[in-house]
Amino acid sequence: MPRREEKIFKFFTFLISLAPVVLVVLLFSFLLYYSIPSIRYNGLRFFTTYYWYPGQVYLPPVNVNGILVPYGSSFGILLFLFGTLITSLLALLIAFPISIIISLIVNLYINDKLRKIIISLIELFAAIPSVVYGLWGIVYLEPILSNYIEPLMSKYLGFIPFFSGPIYSGAGILASSLVLSLMILPIMTSVLNGSISNFSTPVKEGAIALGATRYEVGRMIILRGLKIQIFGASMLGLGRALGETMAVLMVSGSAFNIMPSNIYSPINTMAAALATLLDSAFMDSTGMNLYALSELGLVLVLITLIASIIGRLIVGIGIIRGYTRGEEL
Amino acid sequence: MSIRILKDLSFRIIGYAIIIFIMIILIYIVGGIVFNGVLSIRPSMLIENGDTTSGGLLNAIVGTWMLVGTGILFSVPLGVFAAVFIVEYGWMRYNQIIRIFTDILTSIPSIVLGLFGYLFLVIQLGFGYSLLAGGITLGIMMLPYILRITEISLSEVPRSVREAAISLGARRTDLIFRVMLPYAKNGIITSTILAMSIGAGETAQLLYTAGWNNSLPVSFIKSQVAYLTYVIWAGINQPSLYSHQLAFASAFILIVSVFSLIFISKFIKR
Repeated sequence: MPRREEKIFKFFTFLISLAPVVLVVLLFSFLLYYSIPSIRYNGLRFFTTYYWYPGQVYLPPVNVNGILVPYGSSFGILLFLFGTLITSLLALLIAFPISIIISLIVNLYINDKLRKIIISLIELFAAIPSVVYGLWGIVYLEPILSNYIEPLMSKYLGFIPFFSGPIYSGAGILASSLVLSLMILPIMTSVLNGSISNFSTPVKEGAIALGATRYEVGRMIILRGLKIQIFGASMLGLGRALGETMAVLMVSGSAFNIMPSNIYSPINTMAAALATLLDSAFMDSTGMNLYALSELGLVLVLITLIASIIGRLIVGIGIIRGYTRGEEL
Repeated sequence: MSIRILKDLSFRIIGYAIIIFIMIILIYIVGGIVFNGVLSIRPSMLIENGDTTSGGLLNAIVGTWMLVGTGILFSVPLGVFAAVFIVEYGWMRYNQIIRIFTDILTSIPSIVLGLFGYLFLVIQLGFGYSLLAGGITLGIMMLPYILRITEISLSEVPRSVREAAISLGARRTDLIFRVMLPYAKNGIITSTILAMSIGAGETAQLLYTAGWNNSLPVSFIKSQVAYLTYVIWAGINQPSLYSHQLAFASAFILIVSVFSLIFISKFIKR
């Protein structure tokens, strides 16, 4: 190929390599553009109230401060915001010790071959589609929770705040957090396993030679040495949990306009609410429902990005799903 | 036995117990879906179209792979050529910026991607609920995986191979098309299979970009598409037993396809 065409090819691939940038910029501009009417109309009320009502779409829209909105409509995301944060944080609380213990055990006590098998089995959790988790949650998890586990927890752990009180159908904060914890387990375990197996071998072996038990090596040397990586892995897990939609939508109990009273209560998250409400938003001739949901989406994506980007800056950019660079791909 | 050794032993026992417990949960999830799926699936479901309460799953099965195929057609060329630029021409600072944006793309919640697909593709570009809108939305999600894995495989081409090609007088484009891409072929195929397995399991992106169709779509735009994950979500929320059976059958088909794709991708030599 002549020189000129070489240059054209280079320019062509250059344009294509901008695709991620273009897509991200497009996404944010569209979300922002569609959010502006809602930001103007709702202001801070959007974050401080928890009452969300799409309004009477069959009645003529009303004029509020010069903006046409559906009659009786109200847009407050506090409940969804709270639901997203509480389910994700609880999921992190459950997945955090499990992923640390698993990655320590497989690196300290188990041979390489078995370790690879265990890690790839755990990575299978990342391959199960989100909606299948939801199906499993509805069919298996919810009955077990509401019939056996939640009554026991309410009875014996009732002294802990928010652990006592009525049991509902099983769909709720606890079910969502449990399902989410399974979904974030692979990415956390695989990142932690990566950093632990890269941990300096002379230091580990030196400590063992000095008479430390493997548990002591894990707790006193590896965990202390990897504090930052552990934080990064948690942020990655949190980022995944915050944005999870279908599984949570199916096991959260889809609560609207009612704050949960305990951890068995139905809840709603921003992602799940967005999926539920978008359908009815199309009925709204003033468009305010769509604008408000766009703002909801914008807030959700910003929260998710903060967690993910912090995590990625710590454990290294370029990590995809549960699959770390290298052996497990 | 000293306390220290006792602690070590108990940590070990607790750890093994946790690993076994997690494996049991994995078996419980996969086994539960497979068990119910096998009980629910009927041969007629594979040859009839359906509407999540009656009929079969043919439209949903074919629709799923049409959407995934469209996503692959969108994301593989973009991902591969972007990776070529990053490895071959890109400078460090530029590559880092692209990588950060790729990471941002992976971190975007699926429903927000769906909302974007709705606002941009369905409304702005006027595709309507369609194969193109749903497929491209899936493709946007697949792009980071294709790009990243292709990039890794391209950068793993040994220096000696590159230098041999250059010393034989190969031009940059010859080097890319005759040496680098063939060398990275398996990486590209792995990433494509992986992207297919992820795309097939997605729901939230498609809810407001693909819609639902009781038969097969007739064109790329303005013709809605059915997909399996929708049957799971809609079916399990219906009261009738048959809807539940359709949901389980879909989940079974989905999980078998996703796992076999991942299994195949692990056996491709890189």
